[in-house]
Amino acid sequence: MVVLRDVLAAIGRDPVANPLVPFGDLTGLHYGRFVILDGAVDPGTGRTVASSLVFNCCVDGPADQFLQALMARAGSGLWAVFQHCSGAPAPGEHGELLAWLRRHRIPTQTFYVNTLGRTVFQILKEAQLRERIEGFLDRKAGSTTTATSPSTVRKAIQQFVRGTNDLAWAMRPEPPLPWAWRLRDGLHRIGGLAVGLLVGLLALPFVPLFLVVLRRSEINAPHPRQDPNFRLSQFNRRQLSQDEDFFIQNQFSVLGFIKPGLFRYATLRAILVVADFVVHHFFREGDLGTVPLLNLHGVDTIHFANWIVVDQGQRVLFLSNYDFNLEDYMNDFINKVAWGLNLIFGHGVNYPRTDWMVFGGARDEQVYKAVLRKYQIRTQVWFCAYPDFSAITIQKNAQLRAGLFAELDSAAERDWLALL
Amino acid sequence: MSPPEPAMKLELFDIQGIVGRGYGKHSSAAYLLLEVEAPALARRWLAEKVERVHTCEQTPDPDVPCFNIAFTHAGLEALGLDAEALNTFPSELKEGMTEPQRSRALGDESGAADPESSPRHWDWGGTAAGQRPVHLMLMVFAPSEADLATTIAELSVLLRPGGLTLVRRLHTALLADREGGVREHFGFRDAISQPGIAGLHRTTSGQPLVPAGEFILGYENAYGLLTECPRVHHSLDPDRLLPPAEFGTHDLGRNGSYLVVRQLGQRVRAFWQFLDAVSRDPDGVANPQRRVALAARMVGRWPSGAPLVESPIEDDPTRATDNSFGFHQSDPQGLRCPLGAHIRRSNPRDSLDPAPGTAASLAVNATHRLLRRGRTYGPPLSTTFDPDEILRADEGDERGIHFICVNANITRQFEFVQRSWINNSQFDGLLDETDPLLGTRRLPTGRTTDTFSVPGCPVRQRISGLPTFVVVRGGAYFFLPSISAIRYLASLNS
Repeated sequence: MVVLRDVLAAIGRDPVANPLVPFGDLTGLHYGRFVILDGAVDPGTGRTVASSLVFNCCVDGPADQFLQALMARAGSGLWAVFQHCSGAPAPGEHGELLAWLRRHRIPTQTFYVNTLGRTVFQILKEAQLRERIEGFLDRKAGSTTTATSPSTVRKAIQQFVRGTNDLAWAMRPEPPLPWAWRLRDGLHRIGGLAVGLLVGLLALPFVPLFLVVLRRSEINAPHPRQDPNFRLSQFNRRQLSQDEDFFIQNQFSVLGFIKPGLFRYATLRAILVVADFVVHHFFREGDLGTVPLLNLHGVDTIHFANWIVVDQGQRVLFLSNYDFNLEDYMNDFINKVAWGLNLIFGHGVNYPRTDWMVFGGARDEQVYKAVLRKYQIRTQVWFCAYPDFSAITIQKNAQLRAGLFAELDSAAERDWLALL
Repeated sequence: MSPPEPAMKLELFDIQGIVGRGYGKHSSAAYLLLEVEAPALARRWLAEKVERVHTCEQTPDPDVPCFNIAFTHAGLEALGLDAEALNTFPSELKEGMTEPQRSRALGDESGAADPESSPRHWDWGGTAAGQRPVHLMLMVFAPSEADLATTIAELSVLLRPGGLTLVRRLHTALLADREGGVREHFGFRDAISQPGIAGLHRTTSGQPLVPAGEFILGYENAYGLLTECPRVHHSLDPDRLLPPAEFGTHDLGRNGSYLVVRQLGQRVRAFWQFLDAVSRDPDGVANPQRRVALAARMVGRWPSGAPLVESPIEDDPTRATDNSFGFHQSDPQGLRCPLGAHIRRSNPRDSLDPAPGTAASLAVNATHRLLRRGRTYGPPLSTTFDPDEILRADEGDERGIHFICVNANITRQFEFVQRSWINNSQFDGLLDETDPLLGTRRLPTGRTTDTFSVPGCPVRQRISGLPTFVVVRGGAYFFLPSISAIRYLASLNS
């Protein structure tokens, strides 16, 4: 494990271009990370969970295609990492390692993507487009006066883009996702809603029983407010913060035990299934948790997030890639989507006490913040293809490109120029 | 809209005066930074002084000098506070302002090779070898410089026999303008917008009152909760000097707060030189009108104090102290007051999420307020604050502001404002720019953030190459105890 930590530290020092796993060379990779999950004793059952290593990548296109490309580019580097895992094949053919990795692939129960279908390539080239247009405007500043009309400025920008060879791609809008994918996705949505409705109807008679059991569990479970030391602690802050606040984006990995008993486990699994469906179909355009009908305001600072049940259902690993710093992130969630945090994390050991699964919980501000730090673990390697851009900036860049050659009326034209 | 009166009446007699007021009528002030050398003597000195610490209950007599006192975590330790109790203070106080990761997050250790604001270069509170530790800060206010000197002399007579050494004296000099306000060195009226504390202040200067717990420990904060307090085991407080708290402890924090102190050096001439250069006419002739208009856009107010959202075209001294405005309704795109202007970053009011322009946004904003209690120092470059005069002057002396703010949760209030608003290079949808006055010009990764955009029609104007106008010269986090907590500290025996 010591050697493994050293290997990961070497990769982590320069995730983009290190010789072992040069993440920067891999096309279509948004995020990559290695995280060691230290073994622990389940406080509920007393069972021991062994240590493990997690390798997580958020990619464009099919995962298997990415794995093959990864193996081709960084096969020996991956050997250097995975040889420390029990059961890993002996050094040899990359094919064997690839097969081993496939066998050890575990599903993500809930996968959140800020904007579905937006590729790394698109994000990077649209950021470049923005930079070039801003530069063009800076150079032209002397010749633009308040008397210049918006459409004149926009035309000048269009002309600049037309006249710049390496921006030729920007003259066409981003192609939509393939029709076959959209068809499958549409059917998935309809089918999912139908199944959800059916299961919901079947479960209806059991709701009172569920609520009784839930409430008993909430009242009886120990919670961190009862622990004087817990509340004041920013557990491991110094150790964890050494990896934070370099870029606009940050990451964290959180690992915790599920509260003991089948009830909590089953409820959480069901919620993760529903959450996966809901974020995929309804929160896919940058706003996690915005429900205008319920006057709920969402969070627009999360890029990718994974909820993964690990260790034979004993622990849950949560991986997040978000904007700004952790205090921001926590405040955002407490202020806007505490209900969503409670629904999922409320089933974890030591989470601040929830009421009826959605109330309370994260609204206990300082206790929630202490809980997050307590269960946060160090991410040994974190790679992001665009760490300098917030989700809002990426969104603005996309709007800039989408409107560049679109038909716009004069009001829309002014709004478009305000993106700059 | 404004929060209800706190469920519990504020115990004003136990709260130090600086929480409630800035002692503005005391024209002279100094901050004495002290080191504890002999704890027993220091405690005795403290016991003698505690009854004279000015409280919120007393009306300050502008003719009578008064003082307040604050302690760093190291200072509490030096006085002999029990280790377990020391451990109940929040991380930021324990680790201090100069903990390396924190310095990076605050922007003091920015991406430059040898950042000027690095704690390695600080005059006090920094990390340079041989620098004396700061344990206590005595804030002394007096009606005149002569009275100030007398009071300090009187307080200092007993310093050495009191086991205390003066590490540094921070001088201050209020910059009064002809309109009866105070200015900061760049020439702008300052201290206009202050949060009002529910249960203590009546005037709200046009903004909703903020729950007392945001500034005073022991009362409900903006989340309707009690901010965690430092505490001591009941066995360590046999005389019951402190009120009882949960878990068999006594409350060391109640009626206390935290102070953030940062000495910010201002490069006044460089500021106006830069503005002068970028606002000239195409033929190279200086354009004073455009110069001051651009400066106002960086600040968000005109030199008189008039807010740009209300007087976007020119200064309007009749609006000098206007504070009853929001940003979102009248100026969502920043066409009047740029999104990145200093006052819009340091107090965005209703302009940010969850729903700009609504009470929900104001409620979130209320969780990030600071009560500013600092004072300027150093002679002004021009007594009339006239930019032309400043440009002709010689930068010479060191000048700036001793930024002091009161807050109950340093991480959620001061540090949040500094990191997530002032130094956030993508604040409110902006790109590659930080606060035009205070911001760092380079991220830890080396990416430059030295632009400032002025939204406009047909399109924004972007100023680039902003130099650093403000350099951090020193700083520390302090605990501002209640009167009873000072009595408790004075009673310790180790």
